Amino acid sequence: MEQKAIYEKLVEKFGEGALGFLEEGPEPVADIAPQKIAEAALYLRDEAGLEFDQLMCLSGLDWDGFDENGKGKSVAILGYDVGGQPETSDRVGEGDLGVAYHLYSHGQRHKFTMRVRVPRTAPTLPSVAGVWSTAGWHEREAYDLVGITFEGHPDLRRILLEEEWEGHPLRKDYVMPDRWGQVPLDGKNLAKNPFPATEPDPSGSAPAAPTED
Amino acid sequence: MANQETKMNSGWADQDHVPGIKSELMELNMGPQHPATHGVLRLLLETDGEIVHKCTPVLGYLHRCAEKIAEGINYKQFVLYTDRFDYLAPVCCNHAYVTAVEKLMDVEVPERAEHLRVITAELSRIASHLIALATFGLDMGAWTPLLYCFREREAILDLLERIAGGRMLYNFFVPGGVRYDVPDEKWTADVLEFVTMLETKKVKDYNQLLSYNKIFIERLADVGVISQQDAFDYGSTGPVLRGSGVSFDCRKDDPYSVYPKFDFEVPVGRGEMGTVGDCWDRYMVRVREIEQSCRIIRQAVDTMPGGEVHAIGLTKPVKLPAGAAYSRTESSKGELGHYIISDGGQMPFRNKVRSPSFCNLQIIEKIGVGQMVSDLVAFIGSLDIVLGEIDR
Repeated sequence: MEQKAIYEKLVEKFGEGALGFLEEGPEPVADIAPQKIAEAALYLRDEAGLEFDQLMCLSGLDWDGFDENGKGKSVAILGYDVGGQPETSDRVGEGDLGVAYHLYSHGQRHKFTMRVRVPRTAPTLPSVAGVWSTAGWHEREAYDLVGITFEGHPDLRRILLEEEWEGHPLRKDYVMPDRWGQVPLDGKNLAKNPFPATEPDPSGSAPAAPTED
Repeated sequence: MANQETKMNSGWADQDHVPGIKSELMELNMGPQHPATHGVLRLLLETDGEIVHKCTPVLGYLHRCAEKIAEGINYKQFVLYTDRFDYLAPVCCNHAYVTAVEKLMDVEVPERAEHLRVITAELSRIASHLIALATFGLDMGAWTPLLYCFREREAILDLLERIAGGRMLYNFFVPGGVRYDVPDEKWTADVLEFVTMLETKKVKDYNQLLSYNKIFIERLADVGVISQQDAFDYGSTGPVLRGSGVSFDCRKDDPYSVYPKFDFEVPVGRGEMGTVGDCWDRYMVRVREIEQSCRIIRQAVDTMPGGEVHAIGLTKPVKLPAGAAYSRTESSKGELGHYIISDGGQMPFRNKVRSPSFCNLQIIEKIGVGQMVSDLVAFIGSLDIVLGEIDR
């Protein structure tokens, strides 16, 4: 079935929950209201003729600073400066967060893409892990790296970073850390060789361990 | 400490064999340096004797946040990071990425470049499957096939080294083509010779040594059965999905590159030794895929046209029109997809990587429960995961 026809069915079923359909571009995409996403997912999976049995991909997105004009002028992410110190900026992140769902039906052999947007101040939307189990880890990843909370997720923890990690790296306003635990992450300290060459000992005994300066 | 409600009936802990003596579940930490976990995978097990009650994978030991790196470098520079996702089949990862970029860019890739891509990607797939067979046999206590498989892999690395310059990480593809043409006429002849040797002799060797070995079959038949329904639900792809009897291969069912030109079959698990979707089925799908890859390579070499190998100059920066698209390809592990959002510039606004191992591994939380610990090792081996791709 064509993506447009699938979207029409969603409009029929959810009315205002279906926010719009973008047909231009390399991939048609439907915009769905965030509070309706779990119901829409269940409908897409179970409705005869749609039968989306596989969630191919679930991507957490941060739309902060996105250049809508297509000129490539999006806000640049922060990295490390020449001296190895984390770059900082006075700009406050303001764009929406979002999630993109890519679905595929093995029975019907059709695809569907839908996107939701949630405000940055309250990035919460219903989980679809109950619809497709594979969403469990994908949503944990989106929570971990983008900082989106999924309500009703059975086990929402960080998955790739450790529990104590601060911030969500894939946010556009994320400032790179300058230390990781006891390990300094700036270039200056790394330039200093932590293992200086030791003088060969004429007596033939093992070289002394490098001492703290 | 143990959660009484989650206990199953299969073990000792909840049975009152000796009145007055209570037993508890044991927490067992498997990995991250355990050789049978294929990389730095850590499994937190709750076991009741030999039976696994709960299996929680702990990921992230190889996490580099390649998706963040992608947002700070241009499209061509990121190709070499894709090499590091699945370091056992790096060319397949290159292929997935350039396919995604080209879907947005709308460039016409020269026919010769597409053929070279298919040849090298299939060679890489064979190399990856050889490692899968070798290490799987090793997990099951079969040492010898490892040496055989690595010998053939070495030949593939030599061939890839001659065309791409690297032995493990190639950085061979660029958006719009491949970096180099074949080094000399002898290269294609050598590829054909290798493929013929693999088809006629080596695969038979593996089958005799490992596939139809009685001990090996006994060890794997009916172990770790993934039903078709579970495979869909958990988003399994690649040999894991096909092992469960589903004929789905992106090369066939969602074609990209020049794969539609070639004639090949999609092997699926048929439950020859036990149940459909057991460890042996997944293993055997890989062996048969080696043969099919050989077929593809032969056709690709035979019909390779002449001409250029890249449509865009190698030093010219790539600029993508604004838009977003998800593109998927069949890597050796399964469906490897990239979701690229472009804002019209030289760097992606977002590049989400959907890695097959990440999705395939998740099912262990369900299938691992109720198995013996030693069967869990077989199950992990049959999933054929690569942690570089899971952690990215």
